[in-house]
Amino acid sequence: MRILLAEDDTLLGDGLRAGLRQLGFLVDWVRDGEAAERELRAQPYAAAVLDLGLPLKDGMEVLAAVRQAGIALPVLVLTARDAVPDRIRGLDVGADDYVVKPVDLHELAARLRALVRRAHGQPQECLTLQGVTLDPAARSVQQAGAAVALSAREFDLLHALMLNGGRVLSREQLEQHLYSWGQEVESNAIEVHIHHLRRKLGAALIQTVRGVGYTVLRELSRP
Amino acid sequence: MTLPRSLQGRLLVLVLGTVTSVWLVIAVPTWFDARHELDELLDGHLAQAAALLVAQQTHEFEGDEHGGDDLDAPVLHRYAPKVAFQVFHEGRLALRSANAPAAPMVELGRRFETGFATVQIDGVAWRVFAARGAERDVQVFVGEQTGSRASILWAVLRSTLWPMAVALPLLALAAWWAVRRGVAPLRSLGRTLAERQPQALAPVVLSDAPSEMAPMLAALNGLFERIAELMASERRFTADAAHELRTPIAAIRTQAQVALGEADEALRRHALQATLQGCDRAARLVEQLLTLARAEAGATAALAVLDLSALVRQVVAELAPQALHKQQTIAVDAVQPCQVQGDATLLAVLVRNLVDNAIRYSPPRARVRVSVTRETAHVLLRVEDSGPGMTEPDRQRIGERFFRVLGSGQDGSGLGGSIVRRIAAVHQASVRVLPSADLGGLAVEVEWPARS
Repeated sequence: MRILLAEDDTLLGDGLRAGLRQLGFLVDWVRDGEAAERELRAQPYAAAVLDLGLPLKDGMEVLAAVRQAGIALPVLVLTARDAVPDRIRGLDVGADDYVVKPVDLHELAARLRALVRRAHGQPQECLTLQGVTLDPAARSVQQAGAAVALSAREFDLLHALMLNGGRVLSREQLEQHLYSWGQEVESNAIEVHIHHLRRKLGAALIQTVRGVGYTVLRELSRP
Repeated sequence: MTLPRSLQGRLLVLVLGTVTSVWLVIAVPTWFDARHELDELLDGHLAQAAALLVAQQTHEFEGDEHGGDDLDAPVLHRYAPKVAFQVFHEGRLALRSANAPAAPMVELGRRFETGFATVQIDGVAWRVFAARGAERDVQVFVGEQTGSRASILWAVLRSTLWPMAVALPLLALAAWWAVRRGVAPLRSLGRTLAERQPQALAPVVLSDAPSEMAPMLAALNGLFERIAELMASERRFTADAAHELRTPIAAIRTQAQVALGEADEALRRHALQATLQGCDRAARLVEQLLTLARAEAGATAALAVLDLSALVRQVVAELAPQALHKQQTIAVDAVQPCQVQGDATLLAVLVRNLVDNAIRYSPPRARVRVSVTRETAHVLLRVEDSGPGMTEPDRQRIGERFFRVLGSGQDGSGLGGSIVRRIAAVHQASVRVLPSADLGGLAVEVEWPARS
């Protein structure tokens, strides 16, 4: 899952980025409000962690501008402002969660996963499509009761496809989900990962729509 | 006499006391005046009666020698027992009223023959008028008990004092009502204040407040305003402090957690280093907060005469390695001894904050200049740099607790400016933040009044 982290404090930002990476997130870190707004407009992040006291543009303004632009991604506000009026304002402006510093990394990760899950209309933590169960918290995949070992990239790719179950994602979209800044994307990387996934989970799970992209279909309820 | 504590009781006592005193002051002359007039009138009557008796007796004695037996005249009026007369003819009692004694009412033989006298007869005071006939053989005494005069006087005064006595309680009631109405705005103010929430700091508005209460209300509302400002500033401080204290702790916690979960040795070392850095930052913040608290307490400033130039050279010597580390040029121009009165420890903190900020917020290879100069009327410390400087609004805000220019890339506490301002205030020095004309960055000037 690729998320945007907007935090101006060097030590905290560095720690959050490292910690969230450990927990399986792809983290892009910006240090001011204008950069945060620019990136949120440009990239399809799964979620954003937003500090409020940002230079150049206050976090609250960034949030308002992003919502104004119709960007609906889940936003978790992470701030030191703990006064109740601040919390209320934050949530009213468009935050999906409001967390006061300091926060436990595992809790932060769980909250982000929950936000992403809800944003995709998933009631349960685990995603299950066509007999394949994906647990985002444990980063594990099971098929027919047996664990399937996947690399980090393969897991992220499957996670993106299953979260958007029934929708076709283009190769570019999948690349944006899979790579944070500065990571080299080989030209046929997505095809290679799809190939590996098909080998491990069966060819039928991921379908190719020629010229458009890939999808994992939801089970159709037959009349 | 101590007045009652309540304003209403006080006014009531004063009004009623004044009215009663005025009445008494008027009643006393009235009493004396009435007595005097009465005395004159009744004395006149006595004299008249005596004259009548003298005339009658002279006539009688000339006509026939008196019968001698019917000495006592009849009683004709209920007041008659209080009035008596005696007629002596050639030293013998010729006629008397029934209540008159046989002996002359006023001792004869004294030079007293005509005129008024007040005498005691059988323990009763009498007012007596004595008169003599033309032939000097008739001596008439007409007397009247003085007690009867007092009765008349009392009767007269009673008739005037009665209405007063009745009026006094009525007046008291009226005064009570009027006073109560008069102090109603005070009571309504008291009620308004009592009903307020402790946090309510809106101005008090009393529509029926009399003009005398306007200064008090204005003072009260002024006080409310100042308290509201103070509370807002404290709230801002709490919010800012929360931010400044939580962020380093959040960083420490996060980095420690990263270190715990990191398998890669290099990354774990990095996280641990960052944890230590966070601890240093938190420690520095706590240090700054304590310094600020001490400076704000102010009382610790032990003022002594010291050489600011020497102090500046010493502080810059301590900080110079930091500047050299950033390849900055730091120059001191403080040769001339400049004496100021101050606390050496606090002044060192002030200078250290200014120089440290100049180094910290200026980029590598920048120039920092510290100078101390003595002018005729003051001593001037100036710290300037060739750093990015500050915008006018930011320069205004420097000195607000926790104010920090965001995006400077430095993890300062935002307390340095507050500390400098506070220490300067303790030393009656003034602080100015300006753009540096020579170096293009920021210039901070602290000015002390010179010691003669």
